[in-house]
Amino acid sequence: MRLIRHRSPPMKALLAASLALATSGVFAQTATEAELARRLDQLAAELANVKAQLTQLQQKQAQPAAAAPAAPSSTPVAAATPPVAAAPPAPPAYSGSLLGPGTVLTSYGELNYNRPTRANQNATADVRRFVLGYQHRFDEKTKVVTELEIEHAVSSADDPGEVEVEQAYVERQVTPVWALRAGLFLMPVGLLNENHEPTAFYGVERNFVETAIIPSTWREGGVQVIGNFDNGLMVQGGITTGFDLNKWDATSTEGRESPLASIHQELALARAHDLAVFGALNWRGVPGLLLGGSLFTGQATQAQTSEKSRVTLWDLHARWTPGRWDFSTVYSRGTISNTAALNAALVGNPTLIPASFDGFYVQGAYKLWSHEDYALSPFVRWEQFNTAKSFADLGPGLTPDAARAERVVTVGANFQVSQGIVLKADYQRFRENADLNRFNLGLGWSF
Amino acid sequence: MRVVLAASAIVAAASAAVPTRAFAVDYLSAEQAAKLMFPDADAFETRQVALDAAQLQQLDAQGTRGRSANWPVRVAKRGGATLGFVVTDGVIGKVELIDYAVGIGLDGNIKQVEILSYRESHGFEIRLPAWRKQFVGKGNASTLRIGDDIANISGATLSCTHVTDGLRRIVAVVALARRAGALA
Amino acid sequence: MLFRKSWWKWGAGIAAAIALLAGCGGGGGDSAASANVPVAVPLSAQAALGEKIFNDVSLSASGRQACASCHSPDSAHSPANALAVQLGGALLDQQGRRQAPSVNYLSFNTAFFFDADDTPTGGFFWDGRAASLSEQAGEPFVNPFEMANTSVADVIDKLSRASYVAEFKTVFGADILSRPDDAMARVKLALAQYQKEDTEFRGFSSKYDEFLRGNLTLTDQEMRGLALFNNPTKGNCIGCHPSGKSADGAFPLFTDFTYDNLGVPRNPAIARNDDPSYYDLGLCERAELASRTDLCGAFKVPSLRNVAKRHVFFHNGRFTSLKDAITFYVQRDTNPEKWYPLNADGSVRKFDDLPVQYHANVNTVEVPYNRLLGDAPALSDAEVDDVIAFLQTLSDGYSH
Repeated sequence: MRLIRHRSPPMKALLAASLALATSGVFAQTATEAELARRLDQLAAELANVKAQLTQLQQKQAQPAAAAPAAPSSTPVAAATPPVAAAPPAPPAYSGSLLGPGTVLTSYGELNYNRPTRANQNATADVRRFVLGYQHRFDEKTKVVTELEIEHAVSSADDPGEVEVEQAYVERQVTPVWALRAGLFLMPVGLLNENHEPTAFYGVERNFVETAIIPSTWREGGVQVIGNFDNGLMVQGGITTGFDLNKWDATSTEGRESPLASIHQELALARAHDLAVFGALNWRGVPGLLLGGSLFTGQATQAQTSEKSRVTLWDLHARWTPGRWDFSTVYSRGTISNTAALNAALVGNPTLIPASFDGFYVQGAYKLWSHEDYALSPFVRWEQFNTAKSFADLGPGLTPDAARAERVVTVGANFQVSQGIVLKADYQRFRENADLNRFNLGLGWSF
Repeated sequence: MRVVLAASAIVAAASAAVPTRAFAVDYLSAEQAAKLMFPDADAFETRQVALDAAQLQQLDAQGTRGRSANWPVRVAKRGGATLGFVVTDGVIGKVELIDYAVGIGLDGNIKQVEILSYRESHGFEIRLPAWRKQFVGKGNASTLRIGDDIANISGATLSCTHVTDGLRRIVAVVALARRAGALA
Repeated sequence: MLFRKSWWKWGAGIAAAIALLAGCGGGGGDSAASANVPVAVPLSAQAALGEKIFNDVSLSASGRQACASCHSPDSAHSPANALAVQLGGALLDQQGRRQAPSVNYLSFNTAFFFDADDTPTGGFFWDGRAASLSEQAGEPFVNPFEMANTSVADVIDKLSRASYVAEFKTVFGADILSRPDDAMARVKLALAQYQKEDTEFRGFSSKYDEFLRGNLTLTDQEMRGLALFNNPTKGNCIGCHPSGKSADGAFPLFTDFTYDNLGVPRNPAIARNDDPSYYDLGLCERAELASRTDLCGAFKVPSLRNVAKRHVFFHNGRFTSLKDAITFYVQRDTNPEKWYPLNADGSVRKFDDLPVQYHANVNTVEVPYNRLLGDAPALSDAEVDDVIAFLQTLSDGYSH
């Protein structure tokens, strides 16, 4: 126990003097020594009494002490030394709402407005996502994380919305470095997939490389190990469910918009005969810099046909935030094997399975203006992607032509209001499909 | 207005004292951190700084919202002479509590930052010396904001921002308390 | 920092086990390939009876006509001759109303209904009037142009003299014949069970099925034909005749069980058509659909499986070769004079098998019916041959 030395305030002397003054009338007549001693004893007893009362008062006052009392409080030297453990101020209220001792509600939402500039009769406004989730901490090592998403506001047989479980996993910090995660979790691919809240990216709509090539929000079910090292390296790897190529619909355009999004299973009665493995490395050793990459591969015909086919997706990404700048870039490429055999029965249909697809973007943003908790950050993003970069040869006249790569330039700004709210506006220009040129507005929050 | 010293009484902290278990996510105790920051100190005296309404407003005007009015400050002393100050605090990253300690020198600038415990799934990198070193030498005159003079850790923006905000606040509170003569 | 080394060993062990399982991902062998070839199993008692009834010619007025007469096992349970409509009645001299369709792959059909887009779907017969296989099976017995029995009692009377009547009584009860309506219901049930259980009615044993199983490749011409069949800008046959496996792995039936109005030319071979005021209006002839005049002239989309085994095509048997049938699809509008009679003034009497007020019901919107007079047809002559080559791969009973 450390002693706390307290300065004795000048109060004691003051108190003694005032007592003396108050009682001086009583002493006026007797002047013998005995009488004086008796009076001194009485005084001392009364003084001790007052001190004790003062201590009590002080302790009561010391609690939410905001106002300054007129007189400084005294220090009872004889009082027992108070406990030393100087606890920090009461922890702040949770940024989410605290539902229990270890339970936190999380949420994010995106409301988007899109207006194609060449076809403004197709302008739409949408509650693109409404997400509710909770994290519950069982103890300092163990927690469960879940997230539920509603897309497009109203979900029913006649409405465009969808309700889905986006995350549902448990995590255990096994050693200081390693954690184990099991359940339905986000794949550590690219920059956006694990960090997809509207406050985390620039622009109203998520970029195409990380929606058409990397099928954000991409989640699989399985187990994952996560290691965080002291040199800034984060290692992730695991075994999960994969894709189902039998879901490929050659008659629709879904596969052309995003090959992997059209065959993902989202752990909804997913076929799990063929599992996949993945790994990711991310290095954040230098503050403000992130370099990383990932690889995912797994069979995808799920024993529904005698053909075998493997889906592989890898990516490289970097992010650099010097001062007020925010630069990022991602390259991702996917391949599907044995597509000649898979496409043989689908010849002639508009959308055959591509053998490869890839995408690349660079983006720069600058925090132009900030004041208190407002911040305005304009940005520019250039991206190029091709969802049907190559097809396996099926023979003359039967092999589809590779698609032309689409190139999109997005210019806009994010306007941040307080920590968790963002207003966005941008304009997107498409090289191939100029009918898609559009102006977008967005509102998002996250906590 | 005078700063009141609640010399003997302790603010009844309802919840977590700084953990001293040496488990995975608890890296240092407050005492260990204080010793790391001022190895020459032979004594640490705790002062309970309690801010009044006017001072809280002053902090607001500075652009630093004073979250709490009560701050225990460890004064590092050697042979009776003050070496500096150590403050421990807790902020929420995204959903989890981050406990940290900061050492402030006599010049009012940050001497050292230590992360005492970290539980978020992302952003462990704020523990790395490289990130914490950014704060050394910065004080009341600095901006101390993410995206300005402090670099972010990608994927852990909220943790970085809240810790940075906390450090900026503590620097201001210590400066205020010293001006009021409460930390002599 | 303290951590338990045993965790590592345990975790590594689990990881290795799971990796092994994941590696086994492709080891399923042939189970998926053979899964779609229906395995012939012995027929149940009801189905065995159904087979006997199906082949029993004595159950007709003529004494010479059974179900199998018009639904011959030799040609995919469709007629073995090239008559536009089959002959029935007591003397086998009465022309039927419509061509006898194949009854293969009908166990996958449902009762008639309108789907969410108001598309008529399902039902048995060319106009979907029967709600099930058993309901359909009962009608020919009492159709005066077909087996021509005078009544249900008449049928059961003939049944009581059949060679298998003892078996019938064993399965359905000794006194069943004393209740003719109940007995007829069981006759229909037996016939339906036979068609559902016997793999001859759903063989999935064509060259194309083997191709889907990955056991062989098609020839270049057959692949070209498949591509033209699937291509939404060329043949677009998959518009009504799906050719791909479904997401759950089911093999294609080459029909979506909906209805279409093709404006098939009137067939002079059917004697009824001598009367110019007679029309076969298909769907809207059903009493409950009489108000749906938009459906007049629409007939069921048949399955194209085993189409190359058939001798006559369309509900009125107008065409007797696949080449003619497919060429009609692509040249109906570009060269109508090839298909329809000419008026006195030389103009083409298009859609002559439909009253004028229903001409608008004919499908002129979907590929390949969306061409105009003088346009190039969606498929050239050589391309039609390619499509026929592909269609020939749809015949069951293929062996290498």
